[in-house]
Amino acid sequence: MTQLTTSTRASVPTPAPASVHDAAQGAQQYLTFSLSGEMFAVGILHVKEIIEYGNLTEIPMMPAFIRGVINLRGAVVPVIDPTARFEGRRSEVGRRTCIVIVEVREGEFTHDIGIMVDAVSEVLEIPGSEIEPPPAFGAKIRTDFILGMGKVGGKFVIVLNIDRVLSVEEIGALANVANGADDGAYRTTA
Amino acid sequence: MDELTSTFVTESRDMLAEMEAGLLRLEQAPDDGDNLNGIFRAAHTIKGGSGVIECHFIENFTHQVENLLDLLRNGRIPVTGELATLLLSCCDQLGALLDTLASGQAEPLAEVLSRGDELTAALRRCVPPDEATEEGGVPAERPPEVRSCGGGVVSTDGWHISVRFGENVLRGGMDPLSFLRYLGTLGEILSLETISDAIPPAEQMDPESCYLGFEIRLQTRASKAEIEHVFEFVRDDCSLRILPPRSKVQDYIQLINELPEDTMRLGEMLLRCGALTPAELDAGLAAQQPPALPAAEGEFDDAQALPAPPIGEVLVEQQVVHREVVEAAASRQAAVSEKKAIESRMVRVQADKLDQLIDLVGELVIAGASANLLAQKSGQVELVESTSVLSRLVENIRDAALQLRMVQIGETFNRFNRVVRDASRELGKDIALVVTGAETELDKSVVEKLGDPLMHLVRNAIDHGIEPAAVRLARGKSKKGRVGLNAYHDSGSIVIEVSDDGSGLSRERIRHKAIEKGLIDESMPLGDDELINLIFEAGFSTAEKVTNISGRGVGMDVVRRNIQALRGTITVSTRDGEGSTFTIRLPLTLAIIDGFLTSVDKSSYVIPLDSVVECIELGAERLDRNYLNLRGEVLPFVNLRELFEIDGEPPSRRSVVVVQYAGSKVGIVIDKLHGEFQTVIKPLGALFRHLRGIGGSTILGSGDVALILDVPALVDIASRRERSVCLTTSAVR
Repeated sequence: MTQLTTSTRASVPTPAPASVHDAAQGAQQYLTFSLSGEMFAVGILHVKEIIEYGNLTEIPMMPAFIRGVINLRGAVVPVIDPTARFEGRRSEVGRRTCIVIVEVREGEFTHDIGIMVDAVSEVLEIPGSEIEPPPAFGAKIRTDFILGMGKVGGKFVIVLNIDRVLSVEEIGALANVANGADDGAYRTTA
Repeated sequence: MDELTSTFVTESRDMLAEMEAGLLRLEQAPDDGDNLNGIFRAAHTIKGGSGVIECHFIENFTHQVENLLDLLRNGRIPVTGELATLLLSCCDQLGALLDTLASGQAEPLAEVLSRGDELTAALRRCVPPDEATEEGGVPAERPPEVRSCGGGVVSTDGWHISVRFGENVLRGGMDPLSFLRYLGTLGEILSLETISDAIPPAEQMDPESCYLGFEIRLQTRASKAEIEHVFEFVRDDCSLRILPPRSKVQDYIQLINELPEDTMRLGEMLLRCGALTPAELDAGLAAQQPPALPAAEGEFDDAQALPAPPIGEVLVEQQVVHREVVEAAASRQAAVSEKKAIESRMVRVQADKLDQLIDLVGELVIAGASANLLAQKSGQVELVESTSVLSRLVENIRDAALQLRMVQIGETFNRFNRVVRDASRELGKDIALVVTGAETELDKSVVEKLGDPLMHLVRNAIDHGIEPAAVRLARGKSKKGRVGLNAYHDSGSIVIEVSDDGSGLSRERIRHKAIEKGLIDESMPLGDDELINLIFEAGFSTAEKVTNISGRGVGMDVVRRNIQALRGTITVSTRDGEGSTFTIRLPLTLAIIDGFLTSVDKSSYVIPLDSVVECIELGAERLDRNYLNLRGEVLPFVNLRELFEIDGEPPSRRSVVVVQYAGSKVGIVIDKLHGEFQTVIKPLGALFRHLRGIGGSTILGSGDVALILDVPALVDIASRRERSVCLTTSAVR
């Protein structure tokens, strides 16, 4: 089984240079992955690398969807659990759980953030004509998190707006609420 | 921004700081000529430099300032308080103009410009009318090329040719004289000096060798190429230098320096053959002073008063005195080269290069730790020994690298002279600033972030602390108030104190205010320290009326937040009627610290070593109460497992790390102790910026990430939690 994970790890970085090439020509490539049985996709240009899940250090007093931090060649990178962010329940760590390191742009800053996924599937080319606008409701995910619904082989893939999902501004504020809860309690009672 | 401009901006900022300091001294001692000269020099260097980089808005403005300074220097107008204030505002304006330049804008903003015009008008008003016609508006009239090059132009007309014939010229069948004759056909040789210095003593002289050189003034319409052509046959065997008519003094000086003969003698030669006037030479030699802005001083001496014009005149009459002029110039040159030597011992390095080095050292420390770990695992004695030597060296490198970023705090402190002066004037108080420990060093990145909090504290001390003179006298204090800034090192951290001898903080007023603002309850029992430290809470200000110096009620909590962001603490001690002292305690560096590694379950936590007092084993105390008996002392503790909600059964043996902060002791209960650990601090990033209790992260030798505990914040969180739990339970009852 380790072979499977390593093969996923090995196979994914290879398409990355090709994607840069393709993007220059206007085509869009997406990395697809599954989260609790559902398929999701992110634009390949956001993806920096994919690593095996492990060596995670938990950060106390943080909301559940912040799983912790990892050491990525000397840099400390936070890891987010998107399932917990969307649905509020932590995903289980499986055999094929990976961390996808994505680059998120916010204003003039870029942050590297890891997202924990159940399994990485493949890099797909989805033409713009095959992407539907997000439904007004029904996806059970905040609509601003969805960039569109890609049609692949007769099925829908949710293309995530990763800059919104991993908005550092918003997550930081959420963390503050979680963190400052007891302060508030103290204030109101006093 | 190109390199020249950025050098100009940095150097001008230094000059500006010097100028400001000088102006502040000027008020205390108006008759100090050296000081005035220093101020003038600073302004002049800025002007010269702005000319070099062709930044005209700075040049024009500085010129106005310089005019006034010149009048002051010559004693034509007296130094007054208003004048000093005006000149200080001019410094501010120059700073604003430099900001404009640094930000890459072509023109200053309209408001800056209009302020500049006001100041220029004010400066003009200070100049007596008879001087104004003579001095005003010079830079606008001056031809631009002079402005841009800065160096004075030699007044004599004609080419200057400096030729040294090689030893083999005669052997090759050439006669120097024929070249000179031929040169004569091109135009008129105005003067000619033979340089015979190279002739050795008679017994060593080879009659077949040529030792001669000539300095020639030539009036001609010929081009440089034609002149060069004259010497074509001996081109390879002689050294030839040709200066076109109206060359800059600078070029002559360069010529003097390039030629092998002794500078002084050559200078004299140039004088004698009429290439230079004594004044030009003098000015030229002086011009070599600042290496980055070589032209500046030249212009100064040329355009403004010469240092010794009367001597210059005497020289022309008396041949003998020539030597003296040149000697004087030469001795000045000696002094200059000494200064150069000192400057060359300093290296200006870009801060990000240093940061990069520190980052690399950080990586080295981590890699070293991992090598150490592996060596210990392998159990090979030699390997362990060699890695331990390596890690000692790495530690030394770490300390040396961190030392590079250390700067003295004095510069930051000195800025407050101005603040105190302006603010005390505005409030009509007489206040002196006493600075001690200015040579204390701390990390540059810390210094940069310290400016604002210190500014708040000093302003607060001036506004709220020091009483008006009448009140002071009534209280039996001296009329002059005192604000003190002090810095010293104290066991791995730096302590900065801002003190005043004013009225001190009134506990009653703080209490009233806190109740009024709803920060505390009337019935809440509060310790002395706890009460005073309420002033750091948001929205707290005891000043009855709001002035524009302070009293907006944002000051103190911003101060505390800024200090906390630097992993520091701030406390205040006060005695009613005698003044108060704010003590800021900061870590020496933000990059690497000595830590104490502990773990709870599988997670590792680093406690800053300088706060650790001792480690004890957690005995069989009742664990439903979070305190224990430490040799008869009550030691409250924080149970990390509980606070961080870490699952799992605690091991049977646990330890308590006793830490000290702000004078009190607290225990931290952890599972395991791992010992000392060099900790490279890695910030946790924007995502965790609201996280309290964790100061940052670090990477262990194993590659895992460990969290650095922020002890004071942890204690704060724990005590707040406990309090809220107690309050809710008592409310339920």
